Amino acid sequence: MQLYTVHVKGRQWLTDRIFEIRFDRPSGFDFRPGQKIAFVFEQNSRDYTLLGPAHGPELSICVRHVAGGHFSPRLAAAAPGDVFQVTAPSGFFTFKPSPRPAVFVATGTGVAPFVAFERAGVRDFHLLHGVRTAENLIYGPELAAAARAYVPCLSQPVAAGGSTVHFTGRVDAWLATRLPSGGYDFYLCGNGDMIRDVMRLIDERFHSSHVFTETFF
Amino acid sequence: MKIYTQTGDQGKTSLISGERVPKSHPRVQACGEVDELNAVVGALAAALPPGTEAVAAELRRIQSDLLDVGAWLSAAPGSDIQQQLTPLDPDLAGRIERRIDAMTPSLPELKAFILPGGHMSAAWSHVARTVCRRAERSAIALVIPETGGESQGEARNGLAPAIVFLNRLSDYFFVLARYLNHHTGIADVPWRK
Repeated sequence: MQLYTVHVKGRQWLTDRIFEIRFDRPSGFDFRPGQKIAFVFEQNSRDYTLLGPAHGPELSICVRHVAGGHFSPRLAAAAPGDVFQVTAPSGFFTFKPSPRPAVFVATGTGVAPFVAFERAGVRDFHLLHGVRTAENLIYGPELAAAARAYVPCLSQPVAAGGSTVHFTGRVDAWLATRLPSGGYDFYLCGNGDMIRDVMRLIDERFHSSHVFTETFF
Repeated sequence: MKIYTQTGDQGKTSLISGERVPKSHPRVQACGEVDELNAVVGALAAALPPGTEAVAAELRRIQSDLLDVGAWLSAAPGSDIQQQLTPLDPDLAGRIERRIDAMTPSLPELKAFILPGGHMSAAWSHVARTVCRRAERSAIALVIPETGGESQGEARNGLAPAIVFLNRLSDYFFVLARYLNHHTGIADVPWRK
C-alpha cells in the first residue's frame, strides 16, 4: 500500500466540534472529487473525504472532533508542520453526469463529498443536509449558491427568532413529502440509519432512480 | 461498525453503477457466483498441504483478481463508473495458462475420466472448478444476446478478459487438484462404468 507523507498547513473551526484542516499536497497526488483518503496510525486508519478542489497546492478535509476518540483529537491538536501518513485516494463516490436530476443527501459531516462536487463545478443539484441544529449547517452559503435547491433539515426545533429557511424534520421526511415522484440520481452520504431510511423511500417512491452511497459510522 | 445495512430488506440491491435491481437480477447473480468462487478458493488455500507455499501465493493473487472481476460484473454496460474501474489485465488468462503449463509435466498422463476427490485440498480444488464453471456461465449470460445479455460493444470488450479468465481458471483448478493429489502421494481415482 502506497503511503504519502503530508504536513499540516492550517486549521479552521467551523463549529465548536467541526473543523477543516489543510495539508500540503504531495506531488503526483491526484484524486476525483468525492474520493477519500485514509490516515494511517498505529496499525489503524481513519477515512476522510477530500474536500477539493481536485487541483491546487493543498488538500483539505472536514473533521468532527470526537472527544476521547482515537484519531480526531490528534487532528484537532495538530500544529502547522506536523506530519501524517495517508493512503492514495480511493472510492467510487464520485459525481456521474446523467439526464436525471441529482439529489444529494447528507447528514452531519457527510456533506463533505458534496462540497468536493461543488468545488469541481457541479451545479443545479438538490442538496438536503440533515443536522440537529442550524449551527451545524457547515458550508451552507457556499452550497446554497450552487444548488438548485438547498434544504437544511433540522431535527431539533428552532427557537423563536431563529432560522426560518429550513425544514424541521429528517431528510427522509422532506423527500417523502416534497420531492415529486420520478427518477433521480441519489447520492447519499452519512450515517447508516439515514441511508437505510432513504433507500426504503427510494424503492417505494422513486423506482427508476440510481443510487450511490457512502456510509460512515 | 455494523455489518448489516438493512437497505436490502425490500429485496433490492444497488449495482456499482447505481441502479436499484432485484437481488435475483442476472448481474447480481453473476457477482454472487464470483464471490462464492472466491470463498471456495479461500477454503482451498486453507486446506493446502505443507510445501505448497507458491500455490498459496497464486491463490491469493487469484482472489484479488476475482474481486476486480466482480467489480466489472457489477457495473451496468455503458455506465460512467466503468470509466473509473481499472481495466482488467489482458494477460489474466495468460498467467493462468502459464501456471497450468508449469504443473502439467509433473503429472501422470491422463487416460480416463477421474473422480473428484483425494486430498482435502484437491477436493476443494474440484469444488472451485465447478463453481468457476457456473460463474463463467453466468458471466457469459450477461454478454450473449441469445441469453438476454445486455453488454454490447465496448462494454462487452471490457468484460472479455474476465470471461476468458474464468474459463482458464476452471482448467487451472482441475490441474491443480491433480497436482495436489500427486504432491501428497494420492493417486487419481479413474471412473469405472
